[in-house]
Amino acid sequence: MIRVALIDDHPALVAGLTAVLRAEPGILPVGTASDPAEVEHLLYRTQPDLVLLDYHLPRSDGLRICRRIKSHVPAPKVLIYSAYADAWLGFAARAAGADGVASKAAPARELYELIRRVARGESVLPPVSAEHFHEAAGRLDEEDLPLLGLLIDGTSPHDIAEALRIDRASLTGRIDRVLGRLRVDVAAPTG
Amino acid sequence: MRPTGDRWIVLWVMTRVAAIAMAVALLIAHRVTAFDAALGWFVVTYGGLSILAVMRAPRLVRRPGAWLLDCVVGLVLIWISGDWRSPFYLFALTALAPPVAMLPYRQAVASGAAFTLAFIGVALLTGLDPWTLKSTVSLETLATHLALPGVVTFGLAYAADVMRRLEAEQERAQELAVEAERRRIAWELHDSAKQRLHAAHLVLSSLEPSDVLELALEQLRGATADMETSIAELRSPLEGRPLSAALRDRAAELAALEGGVSVAVEGEAPRLPTVAASHAYRILAEAMTNAVRHAGAREVRVTLATAADGGLHAIVADDGRGLPSHIRPGANGIRTMRSRAFAIGGRLTIGSGSDPGTRVRLDVPSPTREGVPA
Repeated sequence: MIRVALIDDHPALVAGLTAVLRAEPGILPVGTASDPAEVEHLLYRTQPDLVLLDYHLPRSDGLRICRRIKSHVPAPKVLIYSAYADAWLGFAARAAGADGVASKAAPARELYELIRRVARGESVLPPVSAEHFHEAAGRLDEEDLPLLGLLIDGTSPHDIAEALRIDRASLTGRIDRVLGRLRVDVAAPTG
Repeated sequence: MRPTGDRWIVLWVMTRVAAIAMAVALLIAHRVTAFDAALGWFVVTYGGLSILAVMRAPRLVRRPGAWLLDCVVGLVLIWISGDWRSPFYLFALTALAPPVAMLPYRQAVASGAAFTLAFIGVALLTGLDPWTLKSTVSLETLATHLALPGVVTFGLAYAADVMRRLEAEQERAQELAVEAERRRIAWELHDSAKQRLHAAHLVLSSLEPSDVLELALEQLRGATADMETSIAELRSPLEGRPLSAALRDRAAELAALEGGVSVAVEGEAPRLPTVAASHAYRILAEAMTNAVRHAGAREVRVTLATAADGGLHAIVADDGRGLPSHIRPGANGIRTMRSRAFAIGGRLTIGSGSDPGTRVRLDVPSPTREGVPA
């Protein structure tokens, strides 16, 4: 049984997802959170095997939350769920430590399949291309490029801190900054 | 709210009618010349015709030729009346009102000064001898006659200036409000309607497959795609700024971000529909970014102009490495620029400029000529 927690702020989508996941044998939705502040509590309470994480959340973004979820021990698998699931989001998700990216436009069967593969331990992220590094280099400060390389490589925060000789607290800040620059913007109201 | 032009016309008509009445009353009360009756008929006829002409064709109020004619007629009337303390003084003064209300502040003040000088000239021709002004009354009358044009000028020009600013401010506030509303609608579509479509699609897709179900899913996917297009169109990067201002802001931002790079935007862009202006902005901003980020340019020059048909003619030229010999297969940037240009009926030419360097040329037709939806 794969225990799945949902983090999404759209009631309609949460309701639909819960119904669809519950209908599928072998997958069990165990809880939902709609606010970034509820995430810790959700993980602690439900101990999921996998988190289906909305990319566009109010007051935060999926990449940073993904990073936070991944710092738990043991960390659940994270599948980033977005309406804009393209190769670039795959790259950004990889930097955030996610295990996969699922499109909100995908039919239910594809979603089941992705959840099963990720739960088995497969990575379903698109392959990294030089093009992505090129784009990322345009968005980041030069000093952050080695950090991005280590993140993409999947190095643990402990090893990154050691390799770059910085303490864990400032590393977290720098990772958040890198992830903030990699994010994909959608129509946001300004006021 | 009525356009301010109308208010000026109403004000002008009222003062002119009052001035005509006063001139006629003074002519009746005092014998001024041997041909008072003719003068009276002339001022009534000319004044009446000028009012009718302006009411029939309000743009006359904006014609410098009409202003000049009217001022000259007024001053000539004073001269003919033979005395600078003329019954036609107020009438002549009404001729000064339109130019000082329409012109920018400095020019208005200059017109007022010119009128006063012309009046001094007429006064000297009609027996004003500054050295023999005997009584205080005469002196005071002269002072009043010389000061009145100044008072009228400053008062009207100041009021007109304030009203022009107010109108510009209102227009800008309105543009910003429209922009905010568009963003709000875009966000609502994205945040609510599209999520519901996704949810419906997801739930339906979990059912047993059938032809009918596939049809419904197809429709849902179509609706999502439509919504995506609407959201993209509603989101304008201009945020209420004119295209040239938005590009200047972006240029300054880019120069500050990269350091040691000069990005200059010259000229003004014509007014385009929001969608066209948004796409033009994104195309030109992308060209600027490419020049700085990928071609290693030190100097980027953006030239904006209005084409012969009223459309946009823009060139982004840089001194960078030029285009790579083959475009990288994943180079989305240029492909997106082309598809944006296509979407607004524009033409995009990317080629080598001065050696080395790249020259990007964008022509967007005027919406009225080419039927691009506004």
